[in-house]
Amino acid sequence: MSNSHVLLKDSLGKKVLLLGNEAIARGILEAGISVVTTYPGTPASEIGDSISEIAKDTGLYMEYSTNEIVATEVAAGAANCGIRALTAMKHVGLNVAADLVMTLAYAGVRGGYVIVTADDPECYSSQNEQDNRYYALLSSLPCLEPSNAQEAKDMTISAIEISEKLELPVLLRTTTRVSHTRGPVTYGRTIKPHLKGEFIRDVKRFVMVPAHSRPKHSVLLKKFEMAKEVSENSPYNKIVQNGKSMEIALISSSSAYNYAVEAADMLGLDVSILKLGMTHPLPEKMIGKFLKKHAKAIVVEELEPYLEMQIKAIAKDYAPNIEIYGKMSKPCFPREGEFSTRIVATGLAEITGKKVSIDFGKIDEKYAEVTKDLPRRPPILCAGCPHRASFYVIRKVAGERALYSTDIGCYALGIAPPLNVGDIMTCMGASIGTAEGISKATNANTFAIIGDSTFFHAGIPGLINAVYNNHKIVVAVLDNLATAMTGHQPHPGTGMTGMRSPTEKISIEKVAEGCGVRFVKVVDPFNVKEAETVLKEALRFDGPSVIVFRAPCTLIVVRERRRKGAELLACKINEKCTDCMACIKVLGCPALIVEEGKVGINEALCSACGLCVSVCPYKAIECVKIR
Amino acid sequence: MREFNIVLAGVGGQGILLAAEVLGTAAIKEGLNVQVSEIHGMAQRGGAVVSHVRIGEKAMSATILEGHANVLLGFEPIETLRNLKFASEKTTVIMNEERITPPELTAKQIKYPSMEEIMEKIHCFTKKVIVLDAARLAKKAGNILTENVVLIGALAAAEKLPLKNSSIIEALRELVPAKHLNVNVKAFKFGYETVKKGQD
Repeated sequence: MSNSHVLLKDSLGKKVLLLGNEAIARGILEAGISVVTTYPGTPASEIGDSISEIAKDTGLYMEYSTNEIVATEVAAGAANCGIRALTAMKHVGLNVAADLVMTLAYAGVRGGYVIVTADDPECYSSQNEQDNRYYALLSSLPCLEPSNAQEAKDMTISAIEISEKLELPVLLRTTTRVSHTRGPVTYGRTIKPHLKGEFIRDVKRFVMVPAHSRPKHSVLLKKFEMAKEVSENSPYNKIVQNGKSMEIALISSSSAYNYAVEAADMLGLDVSILKLGMTHPLPEKMIGKFLKKHAKAIVVEELEPYLEMQIKAIAKDYAPNIEIYGKMSKPCFPREGEFSTRIVATGLAEITGKKVSIDFGKIDEKYAEVTKDLPRRPPILCAGCPHRASFYVIRKVAGERALYSTDIGCYALGIAPPLNVGDIMTCMGASIGTAEGISKATNANTFAIIGDSTFFHAGIPGLINAVYNNHKIVVAVLDNLATAMTGHQPHPGTGMTGMRSPTEKISIEKVAEGCGVRFVKVVDPFNVKEAETVLKEALRFDGPSVIVFRAPCTLIVVRERRRKGAELLACKINEKCTDCMACIKVLGCPALIVEEGKVGINEALCSACGLCVSVCPYKAIECVKIR
Repeated sequence: MREFNIVLAGVGGQGILLAAEVLGTAAIKEGLNVQVSEIHGMAQRGGAVVSHVRIGEKAMSATILEGHANVLLGFEPIETLRNLKFASEKTTVIMNEERITPPELTAKQIKYPSMEEIMEKIHCFTKKVIVLDAARLAKKAGNILTENVVLIGALAAAEKLPLKNSSIIEALRELVPAKHLNVNVKAFKFGYETVKKGQD
């Protein structure tokens, strides 16, 4: 990419429209962060992706690491050589990195180090909606929470400064609405990355054997006391409004703060508002004094009552008689799902006895009536997706009675009818170990369905376990040559790095062989006959088997064809079609349509993968050039 | 006016996020505050996609309150219906008539609702409805993929939008590849003129 990249614009002091995640990337440049690591995951992906686009131009080092703990190890390792570093991940990624983070807090870091965790209230693209502010509480690490794109940038810089002051990693916690909302951001000066560091030996500090860990725990608690002072004086913790009557205190952070301000305004509430941007450790004295001046406090926060719990503890010392509303003893807001101005306004109205001027009930009623039979439109596998071919073959050979343990990625969409592949799915890499347990318990034909990037991320230990403990499972690695769902990032099997440099391609089949798997085959899922034969062999094999179903993501194929100006192909129904609906019934391809009882093909969607050609019993579908 | 709220709704792959970014960029060019919300990830292709654009000094939260959209810009009829909760009798609905059949309907071999049924449902919320054939206009402009820009053009012709056409075209210049700019500007004009003509 050239200097025309939005993050490299010469726009000092000017407002630029940036996605929250791009704002963090800009913050990386303005903070002089020199090492950025990540494993892609929605809603965090664009942080790493933006940096990957400009890394070569700016001189900083960026990598897509194999998984989140490796990403954290690499960046923290660099930070301990005095370099400024950042790691970005989605909320559940921090579960993977947690083992390192908990002890890294003891040793601390020498250069500034920020861990971005992007939480996903409402599970827009996630398997849970855990509130990662609890990781701050668990690890004693400081935590900043931006509420918009401008703050996302500013806090990235502040997080580095706090990290260096305390010699501790700092968590920067966003939510989907912060990461994926575009807003105006004023650019400041960038700092040239500084990649040359030095590791100064300090065995007592960095080698966490028990004798060293014990005193380091005390060190961490001392740093925590310093962090409290930072929080008391943080510009991000501020009273933004004093109410006239000083009766009600409203305390909020992150996206919830925006809803709270709008809802209070809508209801015409007379409230004082305390906005918290540094939410670990909390500014106890500031909150205590604020509570003292009011009769009631309302805590507005998404997900867990993280602030409320601590504010209640603070109130015990400062204002024991204050009434505190939130989600605990006086629940007014839900503890699950994403907030909205409506949810917050409804809660605030309940507490204050004010009336919401909008009749939401009436809107709901009318909306329910209008959308009563509205068909859903969940995400589905794209037309031409190689996973559809793999699932078709697997389902055809192994059938209803086999059990399918699946994993995190596009292929989780295989659960949709008519493919119906996916009986259990929990977290990255869990498909393999879970299949082993199920196979042991049921003796059924058991599949682990796992993607290429997920295999490298966390699949390998499970595979080794299958060999070591002789679990007879079939591991189907659906290799589409990219981390597709999050935006086609490269991974160890692609031969490309985050710096956009070519590198060694790591072969999944060789890894499987190296793990001791004796049945390893690679098939093209669109070659249905061959794939069926191999699958049957695998099911007969006495021991764990690995089949790599390899075909590139169709979005990449089509994009490449367009870029090269190559001929575009599509499938076409010929006169032999009897409208038997075989293709419709088994494939669920969005390009296959039925109009007036006749099967048709949407040319704009079709990528001519030819799967329907293989499936049609009457040879009634063929691939043709469309331009 | 405190703020101008636009809901953009359609199907993954229709260029909704780019359209929202164009509007946001145009707002910045006019020195206005703006929040543009997006949902990425799971709904990359084929799923329902919605983006909220909020322009105005007091716009803080990323999402629009039920009943508070000034314009509901529907890229597809069923997705327009799905987002009617953001509309009120004051809302203008601008809808592309191109249907994208949800796979559920194909699988169960149920007919896509008729335009009469769709209009009847929209009319429960608002009588201000503009329907256009964005696909035809996009093809006329030179590229079927510019349907999203046709719809932005239609939006630009709507009442009280606080963005000048010139700012939107500037935003397009910034966001679409140079070789496609002319086609996009044409698409914008076709969308704009179609709605203007309808209003006369």
